[in-house]
Amino acid sequence: METQDLKDILGKLKYTDDAKVVQQITEQMKAVTRRMASVRRKLVVMSGKGGVGKSMTTVNLALAFARQGHKVGVLDVDLNGPCVPQMLGMRGRRFTITPDGAIPPIGPLGLKVGSMDFFLDELSPVRWKGPMDLSPVWLGLMEMNVIREFIADIAWGELDYLLTDLPPGAAADKPPVIAGFIPNLDGAIVVTTPSEVASDVVRKSIAYARDLGITVLGIVENMSVYRCPHCGIEGELFEGDTEALCHALDLPLLGRIPFDRTLAKSFDKGAPLIEGDYPTLTRFDEIAVRIQTLLDYKTIMARNL
Amino acid sequence: MKFVCMTCETYMNFEKVEKPAEGSLGVFFGCPSCKARFTMVTNPGETQMVSSLGVQLGGRTVAQQPFEMTRGGLRGEGEHQAEMAHYLKEHYSEQPAVAPATPAEAEKKTGGCPFSAVVAQMGLGSSTEAKGGATAEFEWTPDALDRLDKTPSFIRPMIKGGIEAYARKQGFKKITLQVMDDSKNAPTGIPWSPAAEKRLENIPDFIRPMARKEVERIAQEQGVTQVTEAMMDEAKTKFASFM
Repeated sequence: METQDLKDILGKLKYTDDAKVVQQITEQMKAVTRRMASVRRKLVVMSGKGGVGKSMTTVNLALAFARQGHKVGVLDVDLNGPCVPQMLGMRGRRFTITPDGAIPPIGPLGLKVGSMDFFLDELSPVRWKGPMDLSPVWLGLMEMNVIREFIADIAWGELDYLLTDLPPGAAADKPPVIAGFIPNLDGAIVVTTPSEVASDVVRKSIAYARDLGITVLGIVENMSVYRCPHCGIEGELFEGDTEALCHALDLPLLGRIPFDRTLAKSFDKGAPLIEGDYPTLTRFDEIAVRIQTLLDYKTIMARNL
Repeated sequence: MKFVCMTCETYMNFEKVEKPAEGSLGVFFGCPSCKARFTMVTNPGETQMVSSLGVQLGGRTVAQQPFEMTRGGLRGEGEHQAEMAHYLKEHYSEQPAVAPATPAEAEKKTGGCPFSAVVAQMGLGSSTEAKGGATAEFEWTPDALDRLDKTPSFIRPMIKGGIEAYARKQGFKKITLQVMDDSKNAPTGIPWSPAAEKRLENIPDFIRPMARKEVERIAQEQGVTQVTEAMMDEAKTKFASFM
């Protein structure tokens, strides 16, 4: 009886959004679109698997694009394990907060960098206010909105490339959803190692990304081989076939990067090798050229065919 | 969310939000007809749900600041953190079990070696899968089998099937590394005229396979039996329309 009464009453009334929740959420998404309008090409670097070298690949691709004369930004959205600032020797730096947005610190080769690390004290983990002790659901909500702020609030200025380093995770996990936050995303670069364990998880994350309409540009095989720093001889670290994976998924293999102890140590110490004539860095330069070729695919076809 | 005054049959108006205690919101509503008023009070969990949306109930009175939520949400060293646990302790006699199990208990529950997850993650566990193996129809050389075995297991049957189909078509009985390589480069079916093939070389080699596939797809759509220069012109026009 009361339900019927309520239905009749609501039928006569006009609903207004007094609390203005929908309006504010709409405005948040418009702010993301406005901010991203000054970025010509937006790429995400992802993998289903942790520990395959996503951050190393992201940073080195960003440096490769910068070496080619582009204006580049790197967005590190691994909130709980941000490592891009350490790799680029930028620990302890901070955003400059202005009414027009947060101005990102500038690193090697003019890279503009956004990271959670710029809000944290050294060795401090991310701790949020609120009842996170009761349910991880609240933590998930909070983190997704913080990531939304990272995309909407950083004043990048004009950029040719913005590379976003996504946290690990596959399938119905956060990374592809985060990528969905970025309007007009140009594509995803997937990093894997040539191990079967990694390629199986990576395959799932590619399938999920494709379900969400994200264009996967290709796969980078990291830690392809181990290069001995003493004799320079290369040997296999894993037994796998990324080329076969690419063939099965109908994706190009963008390149193979050896595990290079000298390069890894330089990033680990925050004093990265950035000179383009270093052999492993030339591999990243080649991959950057291939990515650019893929992004220009339609233009090249229209002009050269 | 709206409230209806059932007496006056109208929506109640949202009036204001107050913060009566840490982790709590008081949201005030009033009926425009009978002037009745009431306040909805949230517990820390409900408050967190609202603040996690990054919105302010009733709309904003000042412009949003960069990283407002990130900066405002980070908790400092030693800051109070368990509002919800305290709330439940005060309001309910029984708290839900939120404390994590001790490492020993956790190990007992999972019932295995504490390093098993790490070993599995590193791909060091023992494989139960047999090698690709020769089939009755074809003889695979050991090096060809070794290469096949390096392919991810979920696509191995597809790759094996593709190579054997190629070998069958070519009349081979033995599958060697050379046969495997040749099967990758085998033509897909539609022939190309020499002039069209020459024109394809204008495309950078990295994207040439994609270009070839795309032109062949257009050719198949049109039902033509050969990729010709005229066909290439059509494809070129099609791509120009995307620019």
